[in-house]
Amino acid sequence: MRHQSILEYARFRWLKGALLLSIASAAVYLWHDPPLKPYGGTWLGYTLGTIGALLILWLLWFGVRKRRYFARFATAQGWLSAHVYLGTALLVVATLHTGFELGWNVHTLAYILMVSVIVSGFYGVYIYMTVPGLMTANRGEDTLDGMILKIADLDKEIREKALSLPDQILKTVNQSLDGTRLGGSVGRILSGRGDACPTARAVRDLPEIGKRLSGDVAKLNHEVYTLLLQKNEILQRARRDLRFKARLDLWLYFHVPLSIALLASLTVHVISVFLYW
Amino acid sequence: MKLLVITQSRNRAGRVVQVRKEINADWIRVGRAAASEVLLADPRIALSQGLIVDRDGPVYTEGEMGNLTSTTKKAVRSMRLAPGASVDVGPYKLTAIDTPEGYSGAITVELVRPPDNVAPEFLARASRLSLKSLGLPKRWVALGLFALVAVVFFMLPAGRVLDLPWKAEAGPTMTSDRFWNPGPVMLAHQPIELKCEACHEVAFQQVRDAACLECHQKIGHHVGQDLKPAALFGGMRCAECHRDHKGVKSTHRDDDRFCVDCHRDVRGRANGAQSQNVTDFQKDHPAFRLSIPQDKGFKRVRMGSGPVEEASNLVFPHAVHLDPQGVRHPDKDKVKLDCAACHQPDSSQRSFQPVSMGKHCLECHRLEFEPAVTKRQVPHGAPSDAITVVQEFYANLALNGVKDSFEKAFGVPGEGLLRRVGQPSEPQRQAALALAGKKAAQVSEELFEIRVCRTCHAVLKQDGADGKPEWTVAKIRANNTWMPHARFDHKSHAQAKCADCHDVAKSKRSADVAMPTLESCRECHAGSKPSETKVTSNCLLCHGFHEQQHPWDPAFKPKGKTRVAKGAAGDR
Repeated sequence: MRHQSILEYARFRWLKGALLLSIASAAVYLWHDPPLKPYGGTWLGYTLGTIGALLILWLLWFGVRKRRYFARFATAQGWLSAHVYLGTALLVVATLHTGFELGWNVHTLAYILMVSVIVSGFYGVYIYMTVPGLMTANRGEDTLDGMILKIADLDKEIREKALSLPDQILKTVNQSLDGTRLGGSVGRILSGRGDACPTARAVRDLPEIGKRLSGDVAKLNHEVYTLLLQKNEILQRARRDLRFKARLDLWLYFHVPLSIALLASLTVHVISVFLYW
Repeated sequence: MKLLVITQSRNRAGRVVQVRKEINADWIRVGRAAASEVLLADPRIALSQGLIVDRDGPVYTEGEMGNLTSTTKKAVRSMRLAPGASVDVGPYKLTAIDTPEGYSGAITVELVRPPDNVAPEFLARASRLSLKSLGLPKRWVALGLFALVAVVFFMLPAGRVLDLPWKAEAGPTMTSDRFWNPGPVMLAHQPIELKCEACHEVAFQQVRDAACLECHQKIGHHVGQDLKPAALFGGMRCAECHRDHKGVKSTHRDDDRFCVDCHRDVRGRANGAQSQNVTDFQKDHPAFRLSIPQDKGFKRVRMGSGPVEEASNLVFPHAVHLDPQGVRHPDKDKVKLDCAACHQPDSSQRSFQPVSMGKHCLECHRLEFEPAVTKRQVPHGAPSDAITVVQEFYANLALNGVKDSFEKAFGVPGEGLLRRVGQPSEPQRQAALALAGKKAAQVSEELFEIRVCRTCHAVLKQDGADGKPEWTVAKIRANNTWMPHARFDHKSHAQAKCADCHDVAKSKRSADVAMPTLESCRECHAGSKPSETKVTSNCLLCHGFHEQQHPWDPAFKPKGKTRVAKGAAGDR
């Protein structure tokens, strides 16, 4: 069964809905000839503003619905599809509501916050469309836990085998066993690189040092080298996996706080407009 | 192939537990995949780790990564599962045991390296793998931003209007309600732009008329008191038409619908209304009404039903004065007059100063009464003043006049009495007085009835109390403002010739009214919809709501096609 993304959910039902809303709003806006000029206070402005505000509240509610795992009405995927498309339509509705009257005030602050939220949402959709496929391609049939277990497994085997090797090799190998880190800081996770990783260094140095060996020790060294190679390969894949996961999460650290700030500024906008009616 | 698979493990008590399974297949899959016949459920195992095939007994086969010179040539490991043989499959150990009756083979599967038996050091160093586990803040950032916006943009600015404890500090500072200002106010309101309370007095209440009237105290009503404007416009606020915060230019758009909404059926709205209905200048604007002064007040006469006449009590033929051959001038031979000779613009340049005798007529129409003797003129004012001047002149002449003047004036030889006689006797005095009085009466009559006053005025002669005739001149009522309820700017029309609208060249009587009709205006002015050859004209071009001098916004561009013309300023 082919995977159905949130963009094509239910045969593009929400794309059609959002298009309908946007085109209808634009058509009424073009037809409307207000006595003064279009802005938030004409009857159409009030209507679009109400629609926009209700849309914002419903879009915010997705954060709650996302964690209600036992909710029956509609699937989370359907909710997200609607969230994405109606969030895009909100851009049209809210912009028409402003009548393009913008300035350095709390009303435009709400508008800017809304645009930031929506644009970060576009980025999020892009991330959600591209990264999971890359993650799957990177992981193959492994899971992250599996990769970590495999590395730990390899560590045990390497430790056992390297004990019989000469000191210099043992030291390099031990550094790999004791010093290899995975994750631990935002910079390291997002960069996806293991800078100065002792395993990579061991993989680089061992053939050089092992040239001078011979016989059984050389064969053992080769085995240890093979294991280190495997460990390095799994490490790189694990690091890339962490980076993909972080990219999947990072944009939400902007999208969510901005949307809460939007909620605050939207409330301030509505109250202040009627305060100084 | 029929294979017996015994999965062996130790329970918590340490006892060996065995689970037996019989598999009947030619290809037995070994791996992590759920469909595998021999399921090895450990993350360290591949989804399809290997196969057990039947080659004269069970053989375990695994593919291996290729050798160093070619990655496509995959080496395949295989091991015969003869009783006693064992193979390490990741952390599992497969051991072949003695084949029981009816089976092709039997193996035991045991997990010899459970997951918790691996190197704990690495697991410890791989503990914080997600952004969340690193404590990257999402919730607190969100709540912090919420609080920041709520405090800076609402709680602090709302101090004044909601009467909160920090009200006193509110002002045009960082935390004032200037952030709530949705747009620039019109130019004249800029001094109070940051004083929101000047208009927005009470929270959640729309701007009241009283707030506007605090400054705009003398703003006029749309109709006179007789039509009861308070009742007519009751319920309407100033702010229904005037919306501020829409830019420095204006608080409203010069849109016809403001007017037409009522004036399409004006008598339905106001019982006493005298105007006719109108929706657009081009389509159905009624004919102009001219305000003609009466004895008391004005009368408004609609043009179109016969010629309109003005009873100004003036005798004045435009045809004579505008003669292309010119008019006679006392000093020069002939002078050709044009409109500007008498009609001069007033200080606003919108209209004209009233024509005055002294400024415009006196140069030719002299009021000399004895031109042979003197250049003196009678004053242009009360008739009694003129008569007095004449009498005094001739009295003086009779007493002091030189021979030449005396004879020219009185027509008899002689000279002034006091020149001849040092101390005149009573009969001599009476004779001189009688001579002067008779001449003065004669000249007065000539002036009023024949020569001077009658030229332009309507003169009425009556017998006075003392038997002497009295003349009264009818008051001149020459109208200067014909349409006081509209604003017409002559300066804007300075490129046109006066005669284009005011056809007086052939007028012989002052009663003729030469005001232009609606049709002549329509030659250049269209309605509110743009026209390709005419000036777009909306109501406010000529009329005002509050008063006649309502400022007109030349920048108003109504919706619709606008002709693009190339001019000195580029494309418009």
